[in-house]
Amino acid sequence: MKKRLPLRAWALATAVAGAILTTVPGAAQTPRERVDAMSFGPVRFEQPTPERYEVEGVTVLLLEDRDLPLVTTMVGFEGGYGLFPRSRYAAATALPALMRYGGVEGMAPDSVDAELETYAIQLSFGSGGGAVSSSMNVLTEHFGRAMALWGRMIAEPAFDPSEVEIWRGRQMESVLRRPDDPGTVAFSEFNALLYGDHPIGWEMAEADLDPGALTRERLDEIHRRIVCRDNLLVGVTGDVSWAEARPVVERFVRRIPECAEPLPEPPVPDVRARPGVYLIHKELDQAVVVLAHPTDLPLADDPEYFAATIGNTILGAGGFSSRIMDKVRTERGYAYSASSLWTTPRRYPGLLGAVTRTQPETAVPAIEVIMETMRGLGDEPPTDEEVKTTVDRIVNGFVFNFENPSQIVSRTMFYLAQDLPEDWLERYLNGVQAVDADAVAGVFDAHLRPDDMTILVVGDTARIGRDALERLGAVTVLPTP
Amino acid sequence: MASRLTVSRLVVSSLGVAALMLASGCGSGPRAPAARTSGVPAPAATLAPSPGERLPVREVTLDNGMRFLILPRDGAPTVSFVLQFGIGGVHEREGQTGIAHLLEHMLFKGTTTIGTRDLDAELAYFDRIDSVHDTLLVARASDDTTAIERLSKRIVELEDSARAFVDSNAFDRILTREGAQGLNATTTSEATIYFVELPANRAELWFVLEADRMRDPVFREFYSERSVVLEERRMRVDASPGGTLYERHLAEAFRVHPYGQPVVGHMRDLERISRRDLEHYFSRYYTPDNTVAAIVGDIDPDHMERLARRYFGDIEAGEPPPAVTAVEPPQREERRVEVGWDAQPLLRIGWRVPSQQDDEAVAVTVLSSLLTGGRSSRLHRRLVTEERVATGVFSSVGPGSRFPGLLQIDATPRAPHPPETVEALIYEEVERLAREGPSERELERVRNQVAAGAVRRMTSNLGLAFQLAESTSLEGDWRETFRGAERLRELTREDVRKAAARYLTEQNRTVAVLRREEP
Repeated sequence: MKKRLPLRAWALATAVAGAILTTVPGAAQTPRERVDAMSFGPVRFEQPTPERYEVEGVTVLLLEDRDLPLVTTMVGFEGGYGLFPRSRYAAATALPALMRYGGVEGMAPDSVDAELETYAIQLSFGSGGGAVSSSMNVLTEHFGRAMALWGRMIAEPAFDPSEVEIWRGRQMESVLRRPDDPGTVAFSEFNALLYGDHPIGWEMAEADLDPGALTRERLDEIHRRIVCRDNLLVGVTGDVSWAEARPVVERFVRRIPECAEPLPEPPVPDVRARPGVYLIHKELDQAVVVLAHPTDLPLADDPEYFAATIGNTILGAGGFSSRIMDKVRTERGYAYSASSLWTTPRRYPGLLGAVTRTQPETAVPAIEVIMETMRGLGDEPPTDEEVKTTVDRIVNGFVFNFENPSQIVSRTMFYLAQDLPEDWLERYLNGVQAVDADAVAGVFDAHLRPDDMTILVVGDTARIGRDALERLGAVTVLPTP
Repeated sequence: MASRLTVSRLVVSSLGVAALMLASGCGSGPRAPAARTSGVPAPAATLAPSPGERLPVREVTLDNGMRFLILPRDGAPTVSFVLQFGIGGVHEREGQTGIAHLLEHMLFKGTTTIGTRDLDAELAYFDRIDSVHDTLLVARASDDTTAIERLSKRIVELEDSARAFVDSNAFDRILTREGAQGLNATTTSEATIYFVELPANRAELWFVLEADRMRDPVFREFYSERSVVLEERRMRVDASPGGTLYERHLAEAFRVHPYGQPVVGHMRDLERISRRDLEHYFSRYYTPDNTVAAIVGDIDPDHMERLARRYFGDIEAGEPPPAVTAVEPPQREERRVEVGWDAQPLLRIGWRVPSQQDDEAVAVTVLSSLLTGGRSSRLHRRLVTEERVATGVFSSVGPGSRFPGLLQIDATPRAPHPPETVEALIYEEVERLAREGPSERELERVRNQVAAGAVRRMTSNLGLAFQLAESTSLEGDWRETFRGAERLRELTREDVRKAAARYLTEQNRTVAVLRREEP
């Protein structure tokens, strides 16, 4: 057995007695040589495609998977607080939670809970600003019963006043607690700075939570607008065939009425470029930094979009293989996390920038390193090697998009909801493979403007140093929330 | 369906990238009071032995003591790897807290052949840097601020010079470009766990790289990485009210046993740990007989076994880690700790309970579930739904599992109710449970949760690999992870009542309260 030598002794030993290496099993190659000599073929696999059906005009996707005696059903409803006026913010935000907890017509919340427990039905409800989603997982033998109960929860919520009040109280508490976390403060203030009075810039406030905003009428109104068939997509995966699922799904869909009126168009934000430095004082051992400027490059089947995806990974979204991480964390040790961000909404501008957290004394140096890294993209454009590593990562890891049937179905539902082609993932794979270093350099040249960044720092002013901050630009102090 | 877009707050999720980085399971404080999504599982059904115990796991033990658990599964051609070393926070001596976690970070820095452009040139810097660090420690001891600044700067300069010969993050890049997912590691009180998923045809890459870093790691870029860990500590503890409360609570509850030490380490210790300390620690503890690997996915077990023998078979056996001998003396009276913070109040209560290997562990787990497991649990119902004095209440048994620990409750008081109100109601409920025991229906609910959980836990290969490695490493048998349901069936209402009466008492508890203190 090979003796484990202390590191430095080992290094000396290699110099004088390379023969030691030959006792390493698997030949005289070093691990590095072995890695370099390895070549792997493409990962071959069959891409399962969900079957597609129509029930009462509603698209239903189904992907069978007999591995475990479990069935998962997912629903997505288009519609969320982002489509309605601010007066509906609380009601639209509350809807998913109250469908879960507020009981159903003729059945108190406790009875709903008891039945969920008895049949081990696992539910989740959630929403973004533009959609409400829910999923249900149950042992196959209880599939029919579970779909019936879950269908009632979605279609006939009772909005039990006591549960509404509990939800309201929890929200009030989270309003109070928001300033406790510097990260939450930073992101919410940053959104408010750039998006102003657009739903992206909203943050729940006490005024939104007035009991009058959560009356039965308000909740019913929002429920009626969102929970109707034209907004609905259904996905089923697991231990069930279409023949078995069909009658159950039909009953489920028929509980949900057709939409009385179409959803309003979402408001387009007037994203405000506000170059400069903004400071929120908070006495803590770590400061949070967010910097970004608006950018207009929507997600689309377009070479520029794919170049941006690869570019963002190289710049700072690719973990340890990316430049910002390499400079800020690996080289300087300033931060545990540091990354770029590049959002690509389809109908309005997104953001391009970076985020990190570091002790107050290194907040400005960390920002400077990030800025230098961004500016450095001109002198040291992304290399062929960086592009290849990033593309290889996507191509070789592609199989992980097909590991789990419910992930496949929910992704397909997402594409449908976003009006993307059903084969978007294939197009994405082809798109990124066509990206080269010139395209990445070009997309940064066209879109990245380090001098236009809005830089927000939440942290201890004295330790950050006002003078140091001024090096970055004119400083505006914002009130501490 | 029409084509409106989700108005999402994409900015917020961008910090999620942190998940790509070396997360540490330690010091993360109380569980985030995330919205719980119902879910109370299944009729206990007919599960004897549980489906998990019937899995065709191949167990291989190499001559050097290293154990492999290999489980082929149908599905996409991917494979999940978990490598668990049976060492963590409890094996750290005072003055060196955080070393296990720091080592976890350093094992991503490469080896004698991976991550270097010129090993000799790199190593030539090590002694110089280390001796400057020795001098720095002396300067710190004498509070010589000029020297501290000069020497700290010198370390940075020397590491920058050495970096010319380093191929930074090569280990990560090799795996990432081959499509690896979720490359990461975590350190707990009792274990250090490395994990990654690969396309199945690239499985051999894992064997080459893991065996290499187990045999010949090089702790390059040590001092800059130590700074990263200090930032991690700031993020999880020093700038986090929940994290600070957690750390202070454990320190008060465990005055002798190392469960009282933070896994992420004290700042004063982290600032002193040297590269030599780390080398010593590594050679002492990272031995094959202290190591379990679990491999789950679309693989051929024969092939995996051959690779295991080929790559790991020759690593020297080493000695088992010394037993943790510290025993926390019995607690005689309630302990309390207060933390002042510019934040809303938080409450943590921990009762001393036996280790997870103890016969009564099942009863303690059931107590935790009866108290806070789901919306119909006693404390959720009382505090959140009925009295509305809290917005969330969670419990767990921890901080580890091998030694007597705590049944710990985290509650978030709802303004204007002070922590005392919440605390008093928790005691009322606990006392009632100790007096009356649970109802049969409540107990059935917990049994159902465990039984359905046993099926659901098999859905992910990586999740299964974690369970197999952990059960083997901590309990000596991978099947242990699936035996909960069986033990639960034998448990009576009286067993649970007795456990509540014995452990959930005033003298047996430590209470930590975070209160607002203006800056």
